[in-house]
Amino acid sequence: MKALGSRFSFCAGFVVGTFTLYVFLRQVCFERTLSAQQASSSDQLHDHQLEEERTIWKKDRSALFNLKHPHHTDEDSSLADELYKKVRILCWVMTGPNNLEKKARHVKSTWSRHCNVVVFMSSVDDPDFPTVGLGTKEGRDQLYWKTIRAFHYAYEHHSNEADWFLKADDDTYVIVDNLRWVLSNHTPEEPIYFGRRFKPYTKQGYMSGGAGYVLSKEALRRFVEGFKSKLCTHTTSVEDLAMGQCMEKVGVLAGDSRDTVHRETFHPFVPEQHLTAKFPKSFWYWSYCYYPISEGPNCCSDVSVSFHYVDASHMYLLEYYTYHLRAFGYRYRYQPPTPLGYNIEQSSSRAAAEEKKELTSQEKGQGEGDDPSRTDKRQGVDPPPAAGKDPPAVPSGK
Amino acid sequence: MTGPKSLESRTKHIRETWAKRCNKVPCMSSVETDFPTVKLNVSEGRENLYWKTIRAFQYIHQHHLDEADWFLKADDDTFAVVENLRYTLCRYDPLKPLYLGRRFTPFISQGYMSGGAGYVLSKEALRRFVEGFDTGKCTHFSTIEDMALGKCMETMKVEPADSRDSKRRQTFHPYPPDYDLIRQFPRSRPWYLIYDHYPPTGVDCQSSVRSDALKRA
Repeated sequence: MKALGSRFSFCAGFVVGTFTLYVFLRQVCFERTLSAQQASSSDQLHDHQLEEERTIWKKDRSALFNLKHPHHTDEDSSLADELYKKVRILCWVMTGPNNLEKKARHVKSTWSRHCNVVVFMSSVDDPDFPTVGLGTKEGRDQLYWKTIRAFHYAYEHHSNEADWFLKADDDTYVIVDNLRWVLSNHTPEEPIYFGRRFKPYTKQGYMSGGAGYVLSKEALRRFVEGFKSKLCTHTTSVEDLAMGQCMEKVGVLAGDSRDTVHRETFHPFVPEQHLTAKFPKSFWYWSYCYYPISEGPNCCSDVSVSFHYVDASHMYLLEYYTYHLRAFGYRYRYQPPTPLGYNIEQSSSRAAAEEKKELTSQEKGQGEGDDPSRTDKRQGVDPPPAAGKDPPAVPSGK
Repeated sequence: MTGPKSLESRTKHIRETWAKRCNKVPCMSSVETDFPTVKLNVSEGRENLYWKTIRAFQYIHQHHLDEADWFLKADDDTFAVVENLRYTLCRYDPLKPLYLGRRFTPFISQGYMSGGAGYVLSKEALRRFVEGFDTGKCTHFSTIEDMALGKCMETMKVEPADSRDSKRRQTFHPYPPDYDLIRQFPRSRPWYLIYDHYPPTGVDCQSSVRSDALKRA
């Protein structure tokens, strides 16, 4: 009896032990394969991204040169393409080594693809990303030093490769095609700069740093000269204000970036806040804005240029809303005047040819009506709207 | 579909935004208020969703059947681009028994439409739905509103139609845009992609024609 009992308990113990070991080992193996899988698919993802980037950019001297103006298949971007060639913009993005993966990477994947040249400015050189090391430290008090050095860098290395020089943060989202429209009625030889105009502390106002601002080539030249001649110095670490003070000293005009119906295009906050938030009257924003503030949908132009405090996922969302989502059946209600000197006839004849092509392919399926090209094409063909009875209002500095 | 607690926080905003583009917008609640809402004889709560839906459609059938061709059910956290919905619907006949939405496969053999993403019934489909309850062919056999409605549709021979665009991309979305737009590290396939009736098209998952659920605080 006793022998049977002890044999039984031995067997039971053996079974329990084997079972426990089996479950434990299976779990370990499973986790190992799962992490291996994840690692390999994240590698795949990484490779896919690199592949994509190779077709979009040419990396040269720590700058990214756009190989072609991005557009989607079947899209008619003829006017945007023309502007892309004539209004060349160098976008430099203020970032830092800690933000490359968190923020700058998403700027690289979204809106910066629409710039002619992109340079990421950091305190440290990174040949892979790539970023330019400005030789400063990190931190809010270094902002103006970084800005000074970044603009000097852009002037020394890229002044022949662009006409306009945009400064943006790594949490700024810029609709570069709209920026080209704002700039199209000006020349890079004008000493002028554009952004969200604030009024305090300066006579002509200054441009909000976060919302981004853009200097003409002449303005950049004067900025650099100003530092050479000591007319401009590092007065304060409040980057945007200091910039505005220097611009004033060297005779660069603070431009009016609003659209033809006086809606702002550069925005210091995200769209949700401009559209729906009720800023308390004590909030600094009320006393800073140079032009009268509108709340609600009129806050923001239909051809808005920038938003600030945009986080990573928001960048992709804005890209989707700007370049994809729309309501069917509308021609855009706000038809900003085609900039002077741009070829409407060219795009209209091409539009006519494409329309013929579309009509034949439409016979294939009724659902084929998802026809972005047809609605968008008409934009190029339309004359300036009746609303602009006065000659197309040129956004100019006052 | 709303309730007394979310009139100010959600339904008001729907009324001020996309609902303006509908031909008619009854807001269905459990109580009547000055908002205005329609009072359905049900209590609040997730377990009453199907009751609310049944009563809502019965109400609409009784009062508004001739005022529209298509009947969209949306939650108070759904955002719909109504013009795009019209565009999607214009190729279908409202006198046929059809309904559209984000088609899911499980539980019902012909599939059913996701509740959160919203779904649309044709006039004939609405008639048949109400008839189903009048004759007892359809019953409240479950509180899972979308699945139960799908079962009733199947019983009454209402067919699910394809709401995808000409490039086979989805137009109804059960989650906000950023869920699918942003490239993420591989994760186990989220439930709604496993439930999907139509295969995904890959990178280009989202059509520019949409109606979706927006979770707002």
